[in-house]
Amino acid sequence: MPPSVSLGRSNRLGAGAVDAFAVLTRRSDITLVVALIVLIAFFAFTAEYFFTLRNLTNVLGQASLAMIAGIGVAIVFISGEVDVSVGSLQAAVAIPLIVIMNHTESLTLGLAGALALGLAIGVVNGYLSAYVGINSLIVTLGMLFVLRGGVYLYTGKTAIPDDVGLDSFFALGNESLFGVVPYPAVVAFVLLLVFMYVMRHRPFGRMVYAVGGNAEVARLAGYPVRWVKFVCFVISSLLATISAILLASRLGSAVHLSGLGFEFQVVAAVVLGGVSLSGGIGSLFGMALGVLILSFLSNGLGMLDLATEWQLVITGIIIIVAVAFDELKRRRA
Amino acid sequence: MVSEVSHPAGPGNAIGRLANNSQIVLIAVLVILCVGVSLAEPQFYSGANVIAILRQAALVMIVGAGMTMLLITAEVDLSVGASLAFVGVVAMDVINITNSVAIGSLAGIAFGGLVGLVNGFVVTRLKVNSLIATIGTMMILQGSVFLYSREAVQNHHHLAAFVDIGAGYVGPLPIPVIVAALFFAVAYVLLRHTTLGRYLYAIGANQKAARLSGIRAERLKLFAFVVTGLLVGVAGLVLVSLMNAGQPTAGRGFELTVVAAVILGGTSLAGGRGTLLGTLLGVLVLKVIDNAIILLQWNQDLQMIVPGVVLILATYLDLAKRRANAR
Amino acid sequence: MPADLAVAEAPALALEMTGISKRFPGVVALNDVHLRLEPGKVHALMGENGAGKSTLIKILAGVYEKDSGTIRIGGREIEILHPSDALKRGIKVVFQEIALIAEFTVAENIFLEEYPVGRGGSIRWRTIRKEARALFERIGFDVDTDARTGALPVSQQQMVEIARALAHEARIVVMDEPSSSLTPNEVGLLFKVIRRLTSLGIAVLYVSHKLDEVFEIADTVTVLRDGRHISTRPIAEHTNDTLIQDMIGRRIETLFPRERGPASDRIALSVKNLSTAAKLKDISFEARAGEVVGFFGLMGAGRTELAKAIVGFDPISGGEISIGGKRLHPHDTRTAVSLGIGLLSEDRKGEGLMLELPVVTNLSLAALEEFARLGLIDESRERAAAQSFVDRFRIRTPSLEQPIKNLSGGNQQKVLLARWLMRGLSVIVVDEPTRGIDVGAKSEIFALIDRLASEGHAVVMMTSEMPELLGLSDRILVMAGGRITESFTREQATQEKVLNAAIG
Repeated sequence: MPPSVSLGRSNRLGAGAVDAFAVLTRRSDITLVVALIVLIAFFAFTAEYFFTLRNLTNVLGQASLAMIAGIGVAIVFISGEVDVSVGSLQAAVAIPLIVIMNHTESLTLGLAGALALGLAIGVVNGYLSAYVGINSLIVTLGMLFVLRGGVYLYTGKTAIPDDVGLDSFFALGNESLFGVVPYPAVVAFVLLLVFMYVMRHRPFGRMVYAVGGNAEVARLAGYPVRWVKFVCFVISSLLATISAILLASRLGSAVHLSGLGFEFQVVAAVVLGGVSLSGGIGSLFGMALGVLILSFLSNGLGMLDLATEWQLVITGIIIIVAVAFDELKRRRA
Repeated sequence: MVSEVSHPAGPGNAIGRLANNSQIVLIAVLVILCVGVSLAEPQFYSGANVIAILRQAALVMIVGAGMTMLLITAEVDLSVGASLAFVGVVAMDVINITNSVAIGSLAGIAFGGLVGLVNGFVVTRLKVNSLIATIGTMMILQGSVFLYSREAVQNHHHLAAFVDIGAGYVGPLPIPVIVAALFFAVAYVLLRHTTLGRYLYAIGANQKAARLSGIRAERLKLFAFVVTGLLVGVAGLVLVSLMNAGQPTAGRGFELTVVAAVILGGTSLAGGRGTLLGTLLGVLVLKVIDNAIILLQWNQDLQMIVPGVVLILATYLDLAKRRANAR
Repeated sequence: MPADLAVAEAPALALEMTGISKRFPGVVALNDVHLRLEPGKVHALMGENGAGKSTLIKILAGVYEKDSGTIRIGGREIEILHPSDALKRGIKVVFQEIALIAEFTVAENIFLEEYPVGRGGSIRWRTIRKEARALFERIGFDVDTDARTGALPVSQQQMVEIARALAHEARIVVMDEPSSSLTPNEVGLLFKVIRRLTSLGIAVLYVSHKLDEVFEIADTVTVLRDGRHISTRPIAEHTNDTLIQDMIGRRIETLFPRERGPASDRIALSVKNLSTAAKLKDISFEARAGEVVGFFGLMGAGRTELAKAIVGFDPISGGEISIGGKRLHPHDTRTAVSLGIGLLSEDRKGEGLMLELPVVTNLSLAALEEFARLGLIDESRERAAAQSFVDRFRIRTPSLEQPIKNLSGGNQQKVLLARWLMRGLSVIVVDEPTRGIDVGAKSEIFALIDRLASEGHAVVMMTSEMPELLGLSDRILVMAGGRITESFTREQATQEKVLNAAIG
């Protein structure tokens, strides 16, 4: 076989297709931005009090809880796993927070208690999923049950009120920076920037994408695949804990029912934001847009005096349509 | 070059054999549970209690039969809980309007089937991952059932036939148990002895290979979704009859109980493996635990924790067993 | 290129593997194999599929753990338990399967193993893009470094993979069949990369079964057969014949028993002006009962696409397919199978086997309805039929209930062939029928294909293996760029003619 015959064609056609694809993928974020703007414009015209500073900051405050937890859930998704335990986690970690504060009158100790429980949950999720190798849906679904049951068991299905009423604790979820931007929104924004930076510009972030994109290739590149996944679960639980602390501050108590269905809201936002269930694809920016769209939607629908249940229905439809659309795009590409 | 194989194979079908292994464990667990509980609380063995357990199990088993098929094809349906409640509301409403248990029942079952059809369509045509798709339909159903009716739909006409569906007996056996046994038998034969059943396994084990062999994979998946939907319709009827009212809030968490029971029974999330007998055992184990928690007057909130732990543990045991086999 | 023996002091060995053994359930993959690499030299590792080449380099890469033996680098004994161990020791393996993250850009994939980071620990993206571009310019390979890797054609991805070897401080570079998906032009680039590596004093292990390439690039050749070390000699001491002799252990003719008579005149399959949206353009050919029609083409020529289109698996955009005179319409696999055409896929695991399920279930899948009445399967008839195929095809399995994953590749392939015969097809399309199968089983598969044709089946065979093509086909059709470019009779065809037609 004489390889001296040099007749191979250079593949310009391929390069053109590549450019088109890159534009297309970037466009999915643009689609979301446009959707968000259209949504806001629509409600601004149809709902009287929608486009007021007061309402907009209110929405941001609501959105921030889902966004903080959403960062972690999105990272777990990108690593190729799922975490659906964040709803019950919200209720669970609020208990040590409030109980310890009630006993010690110390916010620091309360926060430490909450974060310690969150860390423990993340470690268990991560260990069972990444190291033992049990399907992470099963692990975190099981965790969802166990934590909720545990909360009911401990609280006897009542809320535990914050008896101390520390100003600093109240401020976390209820006050605003310069009186304008609610603290939860500030926290969400800072965390979002930090993790966007990590996912894009730190080797660890790239490892998460690589592990989710192709675990075998990542292994061959010398990555500690299990450790990376493990850390993702821990990050997710810790971020969900932060969202739970802010929620507890707003509610002024550890409520046994808090976070019920929250995991699905977050998953909906993450999926709407273009983060793929199969791992390796998606951005935190997209996730943030997903959260904002769903939050503005539910707020706007509320203002139009539509029954709150419509939000559930519309969110469900959006999830299905978003994923179907992604799938269609992928098959076209 | 000849592959020497480490596991000598006995007679009998290997699909059955694989299942038998995990079934033996489950049977042992069940026996130990029963003995343990009856030692602590002799009331456990009373006829009334056994019947109560079976009645509880029937509801899960009816839907579990469909869910087993779905998981065998490597799909899942998380909307069954929300659909269950909606079916009850619809059936009750139609009965109230038409004054006919038959028409109401048909409406309920048809509604369940329709939900299954939509799920199947979204999954097989729109190619949406079934986990996400059915979380979506779950949300849609949960929201719209309240839009349909904010309060429980009461049984206005007090029709006896309606109450019998859930609470009636034929001889010593509650009607729901008989219904469940019937569906169990049909599904068992279907999965174990028919070409259709074999194709469901083939699709879950390797969808492309199945397609190349001339099997219409998407259509059979759609079938499994519709069957599951119809069975949810049946279970919804039983539930609404037991409660004597259509409760929009009924069925919360039901999907997780069903999935937990099926996986506990040895059906793999990855598809291609599982048996109906395993599902039955899984259902019984969960329901005996539930019952024991009540009998022993433990905190009922444990009823949430136990399935969670059991789910993780069962998956782990399955994993450990397969790893041992691979060696 | 004989080894330069004039060097005064013998250089230390770059790598020494001795007494390496590895066994998998049922198979001894490697038995007391040794290998010595010198710095700055190209060492070819040769052998048929299943000889143990892949296992050996996977041990080197840290993918598998060896059962016994020692590995020394620069004279020091080391253990490789994880891919990161291999990378730390300067061993870089370029696998045959693309080991790139599809969603990343070409430039990022080049630096996957070690991102250049700034003082704060941030990735220096500008450095990555600049150095990646410089790297490809150096070897003269024209690729958009900002492109998403998964969007590139396979051959370009392979080149990216190869170029990666240059980006790291590797002391030993292993390449596993690197040319299998390359165009001849790109093979030239590949050799340029290899010469560059050796000029830097890097030891190259070149795994291949292509003789011409080995004669061009290698200094030394080690041959493995059935997991054993057969020979290690300077390339100058080898001829084509001696290398083949070492690899196969017997003469090539004996591999292809040909017992069938001439084909009949009855046209079993007719394809007219077939096109698909993605690849195929205006394909027309016929296959007669009792005939083996061989399709040859380089990677990306469209063989697999054609195979999948004519059995109704992939959609078509134009043209007509008829089986036994009946048109394939609607275009789906169910209709295709009922008309009597089926595909033995190249991807045995992905598109053929139901790994966890027993042999009997795998075997009867396509013919199940024949054993059923009103949908109920008569299992005793099913088993009896399966057993007769196991006997006839000499499928080595302890029982019909054995999960098929426990069988060897050759026996798995026989089960899949039997799946179609049980169904009673008239046309069988086989795509790379001997991929990943050891030599002994290969000749059995060849004999089976010959027998299929002699029993009156039309066989359409897609292959990239020249001996297989020339040894089995009655007619040879060559594809390039989604078209049929040339057709040869058995007598006309030679390696050179076929290859030239494939290059297009």
